[in-house]
Amino acid sequence: MTSVLTDTPRPAAQSPSELRETRDRRRALALLTPGLLWMFFFMVLPMCMVVYVSFWTQTTFSVNSTLTTASWERFMSSPTYLGAIWTTLRIWAIVLLATLVVGYPVALFIGLFVRNKTLQTALLVACVIPFWTSFLIRVIAWRPMLGTEGAINTILMNLGIIHEPLTFLLFSEFSVLVGMTQIYCVFMVGPITFMLGRIDASVIEAARDLGASFGTIFRRIILPLSLPGVMVGGIFVSVMVLGEFATAASLSGRKVNLLGNIIVSQVGSLKWAFAAVAGVVLTLIITAVIALALRIVDLRKEM
Amino acid sequence: MQSRILRPTLALYTVLFLLFLYGPMIVLAILSFQSPDGGPQFPIRDWSIYWYQHLLGLADTSRVSQLPVGDSLLRSIVLAFMTTVVSTVLGVMSAEAFRTKFKGSGPAFYLIILGMMVPGVLVGLGMALLSNTLGIGRAWWSTSFVLHVVYTYPFAFLVMLAIFNRFDRTVEEASLSLGVSPAQTFRRVTFPIIFPGVLSAMLFSFTLSYDEFARTLFTAGRELTLPLAIYGTFSVEIYPNIFAFGVLTTLFSFTLLVIYGLLMKRFTARATRFQGQEEA
Amino acid sequence: MLTLSRVSRRYGGTVALDGVDFVVPENTYMSLLGASGSGKTTLLRLISGFEEPDAGEIAIDGERIDGKAPHLRDIGFVFQNFALFPHLTVAQNVAFGLRYSAVSPVRDEAEIAGRTQDALQLVGLDGFGHRSVSAISGGQRQRVALARTLVTEPRIVLLDEPLGALDANLRARMCDELKAIRERLGVSFLHVTGSETEALTMGDKVAVLANGRIVQSDTPDVLFSSPRNAEAARHLNAWNIFDAGLCGAASEAVRLAVRFDQIDVAPQGQVPSDRPHLSAKYLTGEFNGPTALAFFRSKDGTLMQVVDHLSCPRLPALVEGQSYDLHFAFDAARQFQEAV
Repeated sequence: MTSVLTDTPRPAAQSPSELRETRDRRRALALLTPGLLWMFFFMVLPMCMVVYVSFWTQTTFSVNSTLTTASWERFMSSPTYLGAIWTTLRIWAIVLLATLVVGYPVALFIGLFVRNKTLQTALLVACVIPFWTSFLIRVIAWRPMLGTEGAINTILMNLGIIHEPLTFLLFSEFSVLVGMTQIYCVFMVGPITFMLGRIDASVIEAARDLGASFGTIFRRIILPLSLPGVMVGGIFVSVMVLGEFATAASLSGRKVNLLGNIIVSQVGSLKWAFAAVAGVVLTLIITAVIALALRIVDLRKEM
Repeated sequence: MQSRILRPTLALYTVLFLLFLYGPMIVLAILSFQSPDGGPQFPIRDWSIYWYQHLLGLADTSRVSQLPVGDSLLRSIVLAFMTTVVSTVLGVMSAEAFRTKFKGSGPAFYLIILGMMVPGVLVGLGMALLSNTLGIGRAWWSTSFVLHVVYTYPFAFLVMLAIFNRFDRTVEEASLSLGVSPAQTFRRVTFPIIFPGVLSAMLFSFTLSYDEFARTLFTAGRELTLPLAIYGTFSVEIYPNIFAFGVLTTLFSFTLLVIYGLLMKRFTARATRFQGQEEA
Repeated sequence: MLTLSRVSRRYGGTVALDGVDFVVPENTYMSLLGASGSGKTTLLRLISGFEEPDAGEIAIDGERIDGKAPHLRDIGFVFQNFALFPHLTVAQNVAFGLRYSAVSPVRDEAEIAGRTQDALQLVGLDGFGHRSVSAISGGQRQRVALARTLVTEPRIVLLDEPLGALDANLRARMCDELKAIRERLGVSFLHVTGSETEALTMGDKVAVLANGRIVQSDTPDVLFSSPRNAEAARHLNAWNIFDAGLCGAASEAVRLAVRFDQIDVAPQGQVPSDRPHLSAKYLTGEFNGPTALAFFRSKDGTLMQVVDHLSCPRLPALVEGQSYDLHFAFDAARQFQEAV
């Protein structure tokens, strides 16, 4: 013991540069600490709580902290809950694809074909403005649009295209998909437009001069350069869709039950442990999706 | 070449896309002028502003109960304001910290960013469980408030990070070399220069918090915020008063946007006020 | 008097400054000449306190200043990009240090206005006070930066390539003005530059920074005519430096330096007796107006330059690709022992 102590040389007096570095680092840490503490206490800790409570014992109207896997077993053996996982994944995949398919051409037009900066900004602003309306109002706005006496049915009937109102439009999976696509599309258009806007026009012109067709240019230049935008947009959309419950609650007429809806209804009936199990499952899904995406893009570089 | 066909096609597509974005809102705005006996759908029986009066409590008693907007609106604004102040301060501090290189900056970055990634329903659930366990009462100004900051602080942080990336450090050094202390340098030089960014961060935080409800749902306790009041009407039948409310709250958001625009304009005008005199 | 002793600074594995010993006397215009990447900006940042040295001492009038916060050092700094405060007017920029100084703030508005006015007058910007700094030209910005620094009466003013951002005409004029202003105030200037002409014109003394050390610090004429080592000579851009072995002289690693204007050219074999000489191939010439440069390549590949003044031409007609003998007076050559 003594030998260890004597062998370790006392650290030499720090040089001014080391002192300055230490001070700068301490200052940075001091500035950062409140934010990190906030995140720890109000985000990390609650999330740990979800995992913890998922192993608590659920009685009819309360939970107690006796650890058990009963809630997990019930969750895993219930077709309703397992169905919710499947529904969540299905809706997520379809909405992700739909926002990409619907949004990409718009991003292509704004980012690449509009070279006038003012018009470009104006179009982007036009895409963002609906975001400024309350999210819940935007969801509910689909009801008068899709309902049996809604705008679309009225128009189609008046045009004589249909004679009976289409009933699958509202209170179905379809209305949830349409609503989500409209609401989350902007998050796909934005990042892709940003990436496409950075492409040097002369690169494309050069390729064109060399006789490349638009298809080739798209495949070889535009698509690869826009991929980081697609990934960032994909992360945004995924995170938001996976955590959704309001759109389904409002537009599906209880026909679509996402994991988010399960959590809300379980909390409503004070089944905290079941809600926590659903929460952990949802966390695992989202973590997997984000981890997969982050393997492909470095978010810190793209932001 | 192909772009002769491609360009107009894409332009037309973009127009259709905008229609897709705006369509429901337009329909909603039209239906908000439905007559008192009309439902939340077509046809419009008669144009009226009845549902606006109903919303503001000016209409006679009716079969439809009034939306509980008054108190909840006030709560939402106060909550959004509190959130804005705290998350902007935290965002500026953290972004300032990230200007120094330090070990562990990567994990710290992702920990902050996680706040905007974690679904509201999850942290909301966690917070509710936590406060239950600790025996803390849930309220919009406590448990909801801290979650709102968890959500908006990463946005404020990212905005400020982008601002500091473009910030010329030498003006701060110039101030120090003139004998001005670091604190005064921040107040007199750094802050005025980054102010437009701070304003954007505040705008972000305010709108996100004002509109947030997933994080509020399990944590607000008895007193509802505005989005919760709206959400409450989801499960029951809807009436055009909610459409009228949608129109008004949209107008409110735009007012906010215009104020922001004017502030920005005024700020940038100050920097260029004398530009015209160059040739004097 | 500013004194640096054994000041070192490393960035990771690269050494920027390696034991710099350097003195800037009172009331002196000191030029610091160094190639880009020689650590000259680092040196200024260490003196001003934006960075700290790994080792060594920095002192003003015997008082240690390393380790002190930059705003307590009382050292002026003029930045290459001027670093004006974009949100303030010219006058507010100049008054900034007076108003918000941590140590000795001026509270009296009239005094601030008066001293600001005087400083603007000093740099020739009378009547520009109300302008925005984005509404003035590059040269004017330079003056604002200078006035802003001088008004606080620092103990020494550091100028980091202050003329680098200006065009050639403006640069010449600012040179004169900088000198005049400094003489009027009696404060020491430490002017860092990569241009040997700028350094020689401006400085009462010129120091050369190379390989992280001050290799020589002397008056411009002494430095120019007798550089003490190959590094100093190389920075003056007026000396041919080559191995003594080329002239068949000393066999050890001695390097010779001969100024461009002290080398003569003769056809091969026609060198006047007892003058050292070396053979080199003529590459090309370059016409510069009053002077012309001739480039030669010696046998070991060293590039040799010979300058010819048009008023008294002394070079024979030269043919590209042909070899000539370059010769010089014995005492025109300086010998450097060090192996580089």
